[in-house]
Amino acid sequence: MAQQTPVRPLGAAGAMIDEDWEALRFRVHRSAYRDPEVFRTEVDRIWNHTWLYLGHETEIPKAGDFKTRTLGGRPLIFCRDADGQVRAFFNACTHRGTVLCRHSEGNTKFFQCFYHAWAFSNSGELAALPGDDAYPDDPAFRASMALRQVPRLQIHEGFVFVAFDPDVPDLLTHLGPAAHYMSLTAKIGEHGMTTLPGVQLYSVKGNWKLAVENAMDGYHFAPTHNTFVGYLRETGFAVTDDDQYAYDLGGGHGLLVLTGHNGRIGMVWEPRFGDEEKARTVTKRRELEARLGPELAAEVADASRILFVFPNLLLFDLEALTIRQLEPVAADRTDVRAWQFVEVGEPESVRALRIKTMVSFVGPGGLATPDDIEAYEAVQRGITATADAVDPAHDWSDMSRGMANEKQGNQGRSIDEGAMRSFWRRWAEVVGAGTSVAGDPPAGTPAAGPTSGGAGR
Amino acid sequence: MSTTVGSPRGVVKVESREVTRAEVEDFLYREAQLLDEWRLDEWLTLIEPGGRLEVPTTDWAGWDATTAGYFVADDYELIQARVKRLKSRKAHAENPHSRTHRMISNVLLLEAGAETVWISANFLIHRYRDGGAYTYVGRYEHVLKVDPDGLRFRLRRAVPVMESMDPGARLSFIL
Repeated sequence: MAQQTPVRPLGAAGAMIDEDWEALRFRVHRSAYRDPEVFRTEVDRIWNHTWLYLGHETEIPKAGDFKTRTLGGRPLIFCRDADGQVRAFFNACTHRGTVLCRHSEGNTKFFQCFYHAWAFSNSGELAALPGDDAYPDDPAFRASMALRQVPRLQIHEGFVFVAFDPDVPDLLTHLGPAAHYMSLTAKIGEHGMTTLPGVQLYSVKGNWKLAVENAMDGYHFAPTHNTFVGYLRETGFAVTDDDQYAYDLGGGHGLLVLTGHNGRIGMVWEPRFGDEEKARTVTKRRELEARLGPELAAEVADASRILFVFPNLLLFDLEALTIRQLEPVAADRTDVRAWQFVEVGEPESVRALRIKTMVSFVGPGGLATPDDIEAYEAVQRGITATADAVDPAHDWSDMSRGMANEKQGNQGRSIDEGAMRSFWRRWAEVVGAGTSVAGDPPAGTPAAGPTSGGAGR
Repeated sequence: MSTTVGSPRGVVKVESREVTRAEVEDFLYREAQLLDEWRLDEWLTLIEPGGRLEVPTTDWAGWDATTAGYFVADDYELIQARVKRLKSRKAHAENPHSRTHRMISNVLLLEAGAETVWISANFLIHRYRDGGAYTYVGRYEHVLKVDPDGLRFRLRRAVPVMESMDPGARLSFIL
């Protein structure tokens, strides 16, 4: 049989990203969301070789606490050992590979495989080897059968990251300026922050990059969330898209700074929060200023933020805080896990307000997220229409909004598509997808986030 | 509020008024019909002003909505906002509406309060949309206000028993 050259109607030299600074055009080839081959490349080049968000330390507060979780398709045990150290193991018995821990969470000193009863301590040593007289009488054998640890684990402000590649740069190098914005969320509570139980676990029929785009896309807010915007207006809060900006934090990380999006529990009052919360907002601001100084307090409190940490973490620092983690399952399917991230020791009434307010917006049962999911599931269905189209030019998605502004060197607006473009540039670099660039890109590197005093106020 | 397994009561007394399992079943079946037919304004009248609508997450271990994340934690204002939203053409996740088909069974009267009765029931909801079929399985844990002429929800809580919301299986309709 004659060897066939795969036909993929891509741009110049097979590029998946087509960037043209003369025509002010930025396009992404739709096979990027569709093609199982692209998906496999992503799991290999991104998930196997980049820092990934695993979970937050407060999910496993006590020695012996554990959660099981899948990251990049690999089952993991996320636990705190008897000495209090945070660890991540591959969730597979070193003997024959059985999933070792089949519970989603709990507390244990030992993980025991049910198949042949091998047992491992929560720091990974092989603790029991039934019938060990039939094995070499050699401590090195036991040592070689210790539970397999994830090659790298580092923690920033309680956010635990792992890497399956021992040679990744340090976590803080990977995070770059994104580390600062994670720190801002960690500083909100006088007594720290914690994740809550009640994890929103759901799955969407869409490519993981559509979830990233959606979070970095202020353009969709008004039309997609028309009913939510209407609800806010009725409760006495006018939403505005003006004077809100997007930042390329480098490394694929992105940030939207949103001032007119909504109020913030304890920081920016709006009528639906009620009078008790109005008084607390004043007290809370004094507390923030005393603890952090007026400038940092203003940065923490005055604007909502949506932070994307490449490739799988989203921090929605909005009315309240949600941590969202993306797990790619297939080209057209993504598992999502979302935690409420709250101030330690806040009064019950505030906690209740926070949960009510956040889940009224965020999550598969909120008044807004279902429309986001509808949008990107609809994209996933829609983009099959132009696959292998007669005119290959039809099989591209356009993300050129705001390029003229970008070319002039202006700070990108949240209602433009600049944050998506910077994500795609980094994506192409990491997965080795071709990028065709025509014309002259704007000179100079983009600002690494808002400067002190806060752009966009 | 402990479940009296083994002695489910077919009738409880709330003050001097008797509430029977048949009355509760009729109430739940009627509600299911209103929801399946998307008669949301009529459905809203089944909720007591000040009532709550809750859907805990799939890892739920009895936490209330002041101590844990939820899928839905609506006070009465939010329930009204939800109904208004779902009636709008701009509720994109439900335009067009999902087709739903609810089966309710295993109705138990658990405990009577001063003016309420606490009941539980199982639900099985099939939902169809965009060529997809989704199944939602769980139980209701409702607190019903007993009025002289009928029942209304003081707390309407749907507890999913799935391990996670399946792909495409969001909670954009009333569970």
